[in-house]
Amino acid sequence: MASEERRWFGFLIVVVVLFNAITLSPLVPWQSWSLWSQPTPDRRVTIEMANYEFGLPPQGIEVKANEYVEFVATSRDVTYGFGVFRPDGTLVFQMQVLPGRENKIVWKFDAPSMYDVRSTEYSGPRHPEMFIEDAIRVTP
Amino acid sequence: MTRIGWLEKWTLRFAVVGLLFLALAILEGALMRVQLVDQGALRGMESLLMNVRLVSGEVSSSDVFYSMLTAHPIVGIYGFAYMCVMGAFYFLVPFLLKKEIRHKRLVPVNFWLHIAGVLIAWGAGFFVLFNGLYTLYWPLPVSYDRVPLIGSIIFGLGLVLIEVNVLLFVFNLFSTVLTRSEPNAPGFWRTLFSAIGIPRLLRRGGKVSDDARPHPDELPVFIVAVGRGSIDTAINAIVMLSAGALLLVYGLPTLLAGVRMDPAAIDSLLYKNWFWWGLDMIADGNVLMYTAGTWYLLIPLLVNRKLYGESVVRWVILADLLVSLFVWSHHLLADRPQPFGLQLLSGQFVTWGEFLTMGLTIFTVMMTIWLARPVKFSPALKFVMGSIFGFIVGGMAGLTQANVGLNLVLHNTQWIIGIHAHMMLLGGLAMLLFAVIYALIPLLTKLEIRSQRLVNYHFWGWIVGAVMMAYAMGMAGSQGMLRRTLYATTQFQPYMIVAFVGALLMSVAFVLFLVNLIGTLGWSNVLSLVLPERWLARRLGHAAA
Repeated sequence: MASEERRWFGFLIVVVVLFNAITLSPLVPWQSWSLWSQPTPDRRVTIEMANYEFGLPPQGIEVKANEYVEFVATSRDVTYGFGVFRPDGTLVFQMQVLPGRENKIVWKFDAPSMYDVRSTEYSGPRHPEMFIEDAIRVTP
Repeated sequence: MTRIGWLEKWTLRFAVVGLLFLALAILEGALMRVQLVDQGALRGMESLLMNVRLVSGEVSSSDVFYSMLTAHPIVGIYGFAYMCVMGAFYFLVPFLLKKEIRHKRLVPVNFWLHIAGVLIAWGAGFFVLFNGLYTLYWPLPVSYDRVPLIGSIIFGLGLVLIEVNVLLFVFNLFSTVLTRSEPNAPGFWRTLFSAIGIPRLLRRGGKVSDDARPHPDELPVFIVAVGRGSIDTAINAIVMLSAGALLLVYGLPTLLAGVRMDPAAIDSLLYKNWFWWGLDMIADGNVLMYTAGTWYLLIPLLVNRKLYGESVVRWVILADLLVSLFVWSHHLLADRPQPFGLQLLSGQFVTWGEFLTMGLTIFTVMMTIWLARPVKFSPALKFVMGSIFGFIVGGMAGLTQANVGLNLVLHNTQWIIGIHAHMMLLGGLAMLLFAVIYALIPLLTKLEIRSQRLVNYHFWGWIVGAVMMAYAMGMAGSQGMLRRTLYATTQFQPYMIVAFVGALLMSVAFVLFLVNLIGTLGWSNVLSLVLPERWLARRLGHAAA
């Protein structure tokens, strides 16, 4: 290996280490609980999906800002996605919802607001219909 | 009319059909872009097309969009890229090894079987509106309340034909490389060890140095890359073959005997792991290795200088092969039941191994060009530089999403398919295939590319269009726009309009490329690829008289 190659290889290694260290650290906000503290959830919300529909709790989803909420989604037919979106359309978080499995994610909302829910995985031609506006109310 | 040899003619046939499939993929892509700008814009065309489709009842824009989305990658990858790769390798491998293709009869078989397979899979989408997408996430492709049963069977049949054909092609390539051409030539095992790099390792005690003489058994580095990439090609074919066969196993008893097998018999997560392990052998396997090998071959030829750091790149190709076997989990970072250890190790850390292997590859080829200054930027070299740019941008976007943290907000968004996948495919892979075509035409036909001005228009139109499209899609993705989702609202319309303009620019560039290609070859040579030569010569003789 020539000296230029060694130097370049060293540079590549530094980039790999830095990028991975930063993105695994709490500098990415949700890594602080999903990877490091892994807290016991304050609340559990179950969602049952089937036939292009979200089965949300009958009383709706209302959670407090800064509490840890565990979303548990199941599917009775095909693979769906469970995605939570801000009112401006940007994505907060998501997970795939595989049939025959319990699909869980813990989240902490940092601001009170209303959030939309949309399926993030294609499940057939009616997939775009899987959208619920203001499905989650986050209170102070 | 130029006299073109048997193998050269087949190479050109593969390239021409590959380009026709690219034209089809571009058309489908542009139509889907139109639908993403305005969902109902194609209604008139759709009602006309219903006259040739084999479906009855009401068909929605969504049905048409998702069937196009299913066919589009099959046409683009297996139709365009694989056809061009097969044609190029069928010429280059025997040319560099100075021996004949081992099974010449397989060359036309590969040609026709591949066209048939791609057209059947495409036809499942076009005629029957099969909409299971290329991902075929279990059990969607056998959920006949969502996808048409007959479409699922036809798509499965097309996939099986394509993959059987790919396995035949790989068999023919390995047979050609490993067959002894003369009594003193290295035999099967010596060639195999040399391809893996064992003689080099034994001779130098593992020390990698660039100044030592090559081992007498050593194969050209391009052949090594083709060999190692073809291992991934074969694995991909076997896995995709199993996916296609599964569609037939579930579909045929339902169609013929009304027997419905239980889709739950196959675990969706296990299936997804198997499927992505195989499918990823294209994206993170053969594409990278074939690309690296083609750069290693073309760049020294184009700049007239020995490849810089050849010893290192042989190890890099081997590392790439190993990395490609263990990266599939980056497609399952949003699947919470997937073991976290696999997500972190395979999905993130091993995937980042590609940053090292591709980083070294790009350094090698850039150093080769740098040390060869002053360099004349021929058409092929311009497109090689474009492909390096495409792989850098698309690769970095891919590594950003291959991250257990960031994937949470990037998975399944337009970011993934725009700035990563399409930049890799249109900026990286397609530009490299254009470079190969520009480099091979003079070699195959002894004809020089006719118009340098059209080459430049092709280059700038294609790269600017690809960047516009990828950037607009990436921005839309970062704002929350999902892939595989047809929005009824106009929220992301500005991004989609920019992406559409980018697609149009690429389409114009592609047409200019075809004009230049036909101008270079001449109609008589183009027609001689499909019509009997004697008949054509007689007709041309009459016309001249």
